[in-house]
Amino acid sequence: MAKATILVVDDDPDAVEIAESYLSAQGYEVHTAYGGQEALAKLEEVQPDAVLLDVMMPEMDGWEVSRAIKNHPRFRDVRVIMFTARGDFTDKQEGLRSGADDYIVKPVRLDDLGQTVERNLEVRRRSA
Amino acid sequence: MKIVGRVRDEGLRRGLADVASRLGAAVVDTSGLSPDGMLEAVRAGANVVVLELEPDVDLSRVRQEAHAAGAALVVACSPEQECGEAVTAQADEWLILPVSSYELEARLRSAMQRSAGGELPPAASADLLRYQELLFDATTGTATLPTTMEQARELLERSGRLTVLYLHFFRFERLEESFGREKLDAVLKTTADALRDFCAMESTGSGSLIAIPFVFDEDFVILTATDRSTHSEPAAWLVKLSRRLEPFVRERIEREHGEQLAALATLYMGISVPEPNPRVRTERLLYRGIREAAQAARSAEHWELASRVADLKRTIRDGAVFIEYHPIIDTHTEEVYGYEALARGVRQELRSPEVLFEVAEEANLVWELSRLLRRRAVQGIIRDLSPDQRLFLNVDPHDFEDPLFRKPDPSAMGIDDPSRVVFEITERVAITDYPRFKEQLDTFRSLGFRFAVDDAGSGYAGLGSIANLAPDYIKLDISLISEIDTNFLKQNLVETLVNFAEGHGAKVVAEGVERSEEFETVRKLGVHLAQGFYFHRSNRVRRSAA
Repeated sequence: MAKATILVVDDDPDAVEIAESYLSAQGYEVHTAYGGQEALAKLEEVQPDAVLLDVMMPEMDGWEVSRAIKNHPRFRDVRVIMFTARGDFTDKQEGLRSGADDYIVKPVRLDDLGQTVERNLEVRRRSA
Repeated sequence: MKIVGRVRDEGLRRGLADVASRLGAAVVDTSGLSPDGMLEAVRAGANVVVLELEPDVDLSRVRQEAHAAGAALVVACSPEQECGEAVTAQADEWLILPVSSYELEARLRSAMQRSAGGELPPAASADLLRYQELLFDATTGTATLPTTMEQARELLERSGRLTVLYLHFFRFERLEESFGREKLDAVLKTTADALRDFCAMESTGSGSLIAIPFVFDEDFVILTATDRSTHSEPAAWLVKLSRRLEPFVRERIEREHGEQLAALATLYMGISVPEPNPRVRTERLLYRGIREAAQAARSAEHWELASRVADLKRTIRDGAVFIEYHPIIDTHTEEVYGYEALARGVRQELRSPEVLFEVAEEANLVWELSRLLRRRAVQGIIRDLSPDQRLFLNVDPHDFEDPLFRKPDPSAMGIDDPSRVVFEITERVAITDYPRFKEQLDTFRSLGFRFAVDDAGSGYAGLGSIANLAPDYIKLDISLISEIDTNFLKQNLVETLVNFAEGHGAKVVAEGVERSEEFETVRKLGVHLAQGFYFHRSNRVRRSAA
C-alpha cells in the first residue's frame, strides 16, 4: 500500500516542524503550508489523504479552509483534522459546521497526534 | 513574478496595478522609455509583457525577445481592427480595451500558460481554485448561470427562440431546517439528476440547458429551445408541463429519500419567452427573462398558498389527520422504550407535518391544529402502551401561549398518568421570555409531565440554554447522528452531551439513526435511547397500530 500523504497547515513554523518531523518518522509523506491560501493552492499538487489545519491563522482561518476543502467536488473526501486551542463545545460546533472530521487540542501531544491521524486514515482506507 | 508593461490607457494601467497586487507581482513600467529601452527591460527578466499597440513598436520582434526571456506577450488593442496585428505577430494573448482587471488577470494567466511560462504563485492558484468553485455547483454538478450563458446564447441564435423556465421548490428551505443541510444536498442532487433525465426525455433535438442561479442555490433554471407553436399559450403549456414534471421529480425523491421528504418537494414554476431584439444584448435579454420567470414562480406560490389555507380549514373541521408512531429504542435492551407521535395530513397536499404547520401559521390556526393533533396522538395509542412505555409529543413553544393548553387538564386530554407523557420542545425556536417559559413548564411538571429538548446540538443553542430547561430527555439532532461512525468530531460532541445529560439526570436520545454502524456508534458512546428509520426497516420492533 502506498504511503498516506498528509498536508500540515499552520502559520507557526515551529508547530509545523514538530508535526512534520513526527509524522515523517511514522512513515507518512508529509507536505507543509504556512497559511490557508497556500494550503488550498497545494491540494492539486499534493493530493493529500488528510489535512491537519490550525484554526487560528491570519487572513484565512482554519474553518474557512476546511469549508473550502469539504465543498470542493474533488477534495471533499479528504480527512480534515483541526488544531484548536480550546476545543470547547462551541468550538466543536463550529468545526462541525465547517465539515471537519476530527480535532486535536493544542498544545499537541505527539501520541495523540499519531492516533488521531491514524484513525482518520483508517476511515479513508475503508471508504476508498 | 515580474510584469513588464508599456501602456497608455489609464484604465489598463490601473487594472494592471490591481492584478499585480493580487498576484504579488512587480510591474516595470516602460511607457516612458524608447522601444529599445523596453526590450532591454524584457531581457533583464520578466514573466509576462503587457503591451498596448503603437506604430513604432515591431510586435514580432517584441514577441521574439519576450519568448527568448521566457515571458509571455499580451497585446492590448483599442479598436477591434488592431487585433489582426496581434494575431499575425503571434502574441500569446490579446484583449480589446477597455478591460476589467478580472479579465486582464484571466488573459495574463492564459498567456503564461500558452507560452509555457512560469508557474503561478500559490496565492493566485488558490484563487483559481476558488473561482472554479463558483462556476459549478459541488453538490449537484450543475453549472451556474454565468457559466451557461455562452451556450444559452448559442442555443438562442441557433433556434431563434428560447423559453425560460424558473423552478422553485419552496419547501426545500423547510426540509433543510428539519433534516439538515446534508439531506438537502442529497435531495438537490437527486432533483438535478431527475431534471436532466426529464429534459433528455422531452428534448426535441435542439436541446435544453439546466443551470442554477448561484452555487449552492436551491432553485433551477431551464433554458429550452422551442418553436413558435409552443408559445401561442405559454401559460397553458407550462401547466401541462408542470403536471408531468412535478410527479417525475417527486417520485425520484421518494424512491431515493423516502415519502416524508418527497412530500416536501412542492414545485412552483414560472415561464418567460424573451423576445429576441438585435438592439438588446443577448445576455441581458436572458437575465431579464430569468428574473421575469422567477417572479412568475413566486406569484404562483402565493396563489396556491391561499388555496391551501382553505384545505387546512377543511382538514381541521373534518379532523382529517392521522398519526404515525415512531418507536424509540432502549440501546441497552433493544426494546421499545416509547413512541414519538408524528402528525400527517390525510389530504395529499397537506401530507407532511412541516407543510401542515406552515399553512396553519399562515392561516393563524396553529393552536387549533395543535389541539387536534395532541388529542389524536393520545387517543391513538394510549391504551396500547405497556405500563412502562412512554409517549413523546411535539409541542411548539407557541403552544404555551394557547390559553387552553396553558391550563392543562390531563383527563380532558385523555391522559391518566402524565408521567408517561413527554413533551418535546424544539431548540430551534427562540424562547424570548425564559423566566415566564420556565414558569409554564413548572405547571406541567407539577402535574407529572416530562420534557425533552428536541434537536439539541443543531447549533441553535449551547449547553447553557439546554441546562436552563432542565429537561428529562435530550434529543440529539439528526445532523449529529448521520455518518457519526466516521466523524470523530460528532462522536466527541455526542460524548460531551451524554456526560452533560448524566450530570443533570437526563437521558439522551439519538434521532435519525439510519444505519447499523450509526446505531453501534451511539450505543458505544453511551447514548441511552435511539430512534430512526433503521428501526423501522429492520424487524427489531413491530410498528404499533394507531
